[in-house]
Amino acid sequence: MRAHRARFFAVGITAAVLSASLAACSSSSTSSSKATVNKTPIKIGASLSLTGGFSTDGQAFKRGYELWRDDVNAAGGLLGRKVVLDIKNDASQPNQAVTNYQTLINVDHVNLLFGPFSSLLTAPSVQVAHRYGFAFVEGAGGAPSVFATKLGNLFDVSLPVDASTLPLLNYIKSLPASQRPKTAAFPTSDDPFTQPQIQFAQQRLAADGVKSVYSKVFPAEPTQYKGIADQVAASKAQIVVLGSVDVPTVAAFTQAFVQDHYNPKVFIATAGPDQGSAYVKAVGGQGNADGVMVPNAWYGGSPNALSKKMVAEYIGKYHGTASGINADVAEAYSVGEVMAQAVIATKGLNQPAIISYLHSHTMTSVQGPVKFDSVGQNLAATAFVFQWQKANFVQVLPPGSGSVPVVYPKPVWGK
Amino acid sequence: MATFLRAVTDGILGGAVYALMAAGLTLIFGVLDIINIAQGILVVLAAYLSYALSVHLHLNPLLGLLITVPVMFVLGVIIQWAFIRRLRGRERTAMSLLVCYAVAVIIEGALYAKFGSTDVSIPTPYANSSKDQVHLFGFYLPYIYLIGFGLAVVAIAGIYLMLYRTKFGRSIRATTQDAVAARLIGINVNRVAAITFGIGVAVTAAGGMVFGATNTFNPDSGYDLISRLLSIVILGGLGSIGGALVAAMFMVTAEEIVNIWQPTWATVVYYAVLVIVLLVRPTGLFGKQEARAQ
Amino acid sequence: MTAPSSGATAAGRAWHVAWRAWRPAGSLVVLVAAILFPLVFTNPAVTNYGVFTLVFVAAASAWNIFSGYSGYISLGHAVFFGSGAYFVGIATKDWHYTGSKVFALLPLAGLLGAILAVPFGLVALRVRRHTFVVITIAVFFIFQLMAYNLQSITGGTSGLLAPTINYAAATYNNPFYYAAFAIAAGTIALSWLIRRSRFGLQLRAIRDDEDRARGLGVRAERVKLSAFVISAVPVAMIGGVWWYYTTLVDPSSGFDPLFDVAIALMAFLGGLGTVAGPVLGALIIEPAELYFQQQVSSGYIFLILYGALFLVVILVLPRGVIPTAAELITKWNARRKNGGGPPGQALPASAPSPEVDLSADGSKGSSPQASTARGLA
Repeated sequence: MRAHRARFFAVGITAAVLSASLAACSSSSTSSSKATVNKTPIKIGASLSLTGGFSTDGQAFKRGYELWRDDVNAAGGLLGRKVVLDIKNDASQPNQAVTNYQTLINVDHVNLLFGPFSSLLTAPSVQVAHRYGFAFVEGAGGAPSVFATKLGNLFDVSLPVDASTLPLLNYIKSLPASQRPKTAAFPTSDDPFTQPQIQFAQQRLAADGVKSVYSKVFPAEPTQYKGIADQVAASKAQIVVLGSVDVPTVAAFTQAFVQDHYNPKVFIATAGPDQGSAYVKAVGGQGNADGVMVPNAWYGGSPNALSKKMVAEYIGKYHGTASGINADVAEAYSVGEVMAQAVIATKGLNQPAIISYLHSHTMTSVQGPVKFDSVGQNLAATAFVFQWQKANFVQVLPPGSGSVPVVYPKPVWGK
Repeated sequence: MATFLRAVTDGILGGAVYALMAAGLTLIFGVLDIINIAQGILVVLAAYLSYALSVHLHLNPLLGLLITVPVMFVLGVIIQWAFIRRLRGRERTAMSLLVCYAVAVIIEGALYAKFGSTDVSIPTPYANSSKDQVHLFGFYLPYIYLIGFGLAVVAIAGIYLMLYRTKFGRSIRATTQDAVAARLIGINVNRVAAITFGIGVAVTAAGGMVFGATNTFNPDSGYDLISRLLSIVILGGLGSIGGALVAAMFMVTAEEIVNIWQPTWATVVYYAVLVIVLLVRPTGLFGKQEARAQ
Repeated sequence: MTAPSSGATAAGRAWHVAWRAWRPAGSLVVLVAAILFPLVFTNPAVTNYGVFTLVFVAAASAWNIFSGYSGYISLGHAVFFGSGAYFVGIATKDWHYTGSKVFALLPLAGLLGAILAVPFGLVALRVRRHTFVVITIAVFFIFQLMAYNLQSITGGTSGLLAPTINYAAATYNNPFYYAAFAIAAGTIALSWLIRRSRFGLQLRAIRDDEDRARGLGVRAERVKLSAFVISAVPVAMIGGVWWYYTTLVDPSSGFDPLFDVAIALMAFLGGLGTVAGPVLGALIIEPAELYFQQQVSSGYIFLILYGALFLVVILVLPRGVIPTAAELITKWNARRKNGGGPPGQALPASAPSPEVDLSADGSKGSSPQASTARGLA
């Protein structure tokens, strides 16, 4: 008797579920004829630094967001609705970023938010988003201080800093004693992005027996880098781990090293060489870029299928080469992908549902897998180390799938 | 010891570049009572001009100066004639600050519009290769810095000669001392003002070229420059061209020396030195004691 | 604001009375409007504009108390702004303040501003005006660089973050609005009181001709320093409000050179040395900047237009909107009364002192020093 009833129930429920899902499927496939399905565009708002100190990166982010938008719309939109981007310029100023997000939420009534560029703008902006319960997915606010606020709506798709140079440090350790470099220099910009990375590298290398012969912090905007770079050169360190945030810093150090005939065996910079052709041009051509390394989560030649597609489209739209693409583009694109996955999975624009989904699932992106911890850091991001080899920007570490052999020691400048 | 010598050398050579940029500023400041706060962005503009000539016309930047110097001169004259000349009265100096700031913002916007925000640098063989340099006492002195030093000396000597050996220079000095009296004896004060401003800006052409060859820059680079230039000019003494040279070298050298110990304090030292010197000598190292009040 | 005395006609007299009454009535209207603003325009995006605008109204008015009245242009007031912001930030963190309690720290921030202004003023006011500007810039950079370097206190480049506040989202901005409003209103009242007082007269005498003022018995050092210290207090307080509102201060935003230029521009636009001038300037510039800067397409064009607008305003209205407007109204009145008499006559001593043009084009009519001097003794 009971079994009968149970089976009856099971069949009934299954039938109900099946018919409901069939109805849902049929309604979405014939959506154009049904007035009840929402076809209004989905508005996504973001504040970006299109002018001011962060403008190079802000512009690259804009291209990344727009590329993602075009791809999504070409594939039929998000939840079947066209995606519209509402980007406002914050001129690299926090007052403007706060104003922009307040405007986006309260005047433009956007459905979703994307983040700005830089931790300094992310910190005030995420507070605004938090007030209104919006999920805040971003790709460029990774300084530890940002996560210290422990706001549950912050999600940084990019690599959390500090351990970024680990693959290189492991490589150095793996070299036979006769080839291993013995001394290292650690010049770093006074910046929350670079300092954790440099300190980590310094500690690890010291533990591995590499002596630190220069370790100084220089101001974010010194009169000239030449004096500091000359001192690094004078230290004759065999490894240089440079804490830089932009191309001009690396270019200035490169120029000084070239002039001083100083050729370290290993030269890795925390940012700059990942900005593609902008970097190569600034250092005076590929001869000076050759052999220089940078940690990152992504590069133009990434074998990731999603990335390849994005690169092809970028080149189609903006020309250039894969190696020439600024890594910010991939960061921005990843923001879009991650948000899209959360929206599709939760079948709507409900912020608490999206936030909950983002905290509990692993997603994919052009930068690889994305899994957030409770404060919003992406724990699944792997650090890769990239190197310029002739005109190509390639993945060299960790060794294994997708990596080509490291060129060690670094070729002499200009050759 | 070697590090110290290196720092001093870097300071002197680097200081010359700043002197080149500051010479024009102190001339304008001292003669016209104008705080040309646009000087920073004008240097960047000159750097962009040299950059464009070098990249698009493949013109050697030194030769390019033959074009950029006159162009900047004309620009300076236009700025003075169109905007500064109309400023009158007691608040002239303060208002010149705002007018020049407005001009600077316009130039900055135009540079963004034309060149975008990408960081660039003037490609010269003198700066980027390991061959064009002088090898001295174990140091490498790239040509570009020596050229910068040379240009600074030439520019400053040139301005001195002009001020003290030519008739026009006398007109300038007369106008500085007493504009009303100068006018009474027949000096065309407006013309003198315009040309002086033009010269002050023309000198930035050379400064901009060297700056652009030794740094990467973008339209945002002007702000940083102007604050240092103003400090140098005040330290050296208003209107003293030689003072600007000495002050520039002194400041940059002091910074380089502090760099050895702790780079993050180097710039503080820079400004602290300025404040201390001004406490002791309110008119700067070589400034003249002003006859009239304020 | 001036009005020629005793109009010949009844209409003239009526106008005269209305004119005299306008000022306080007008101010009352503005005051009430400002208080009611967030209650009428409840959209947070709009009150956000209100908060930032009031921050600049307070800062520009305070700056004007010193630089406008004395004629010494300071480009270092950001020192007080940033110090106030950092003070409130550090105190909030160390003393574990949260929520509305943080606002109680503002008067202390003001006190800190005053304390900092004493050595700053003593050092800076020893030199002449041109040099004074640069010394203020130098001290400004010293503070900014110390904020970068004293990491254990200031958090270095990461800056200081504010604790999240539990205010409801819809009215989140209002407490900040009213805090900024209180400071702004207080500063404007202070500015008005000073302007009418002997102290204000002494300041303006210094502006006109310092040596002469000294000769007439004005203790210039003391007067200048007092004005400098007074002007620092509101700026430091408003810095604290700003920090708590934007939740982050770092060396580049707390000590921002553009802040100094902005408040100077606002005071100039409205009318340097007047009470309402900086207010008007801030009311015009800040909302415009926040609004126009966001537009993506005009990103760089905004810069060009902004600069061009200023050039036009400075050249066409060299003394700012309010004095020029006042002058136009005076001229119009005089012309109506006297059927086109000389516009320059009958300017009472309380008028903003007209420029004495030292160029060879000839000097203007009345000498303001005589009348100013009379009021000093």
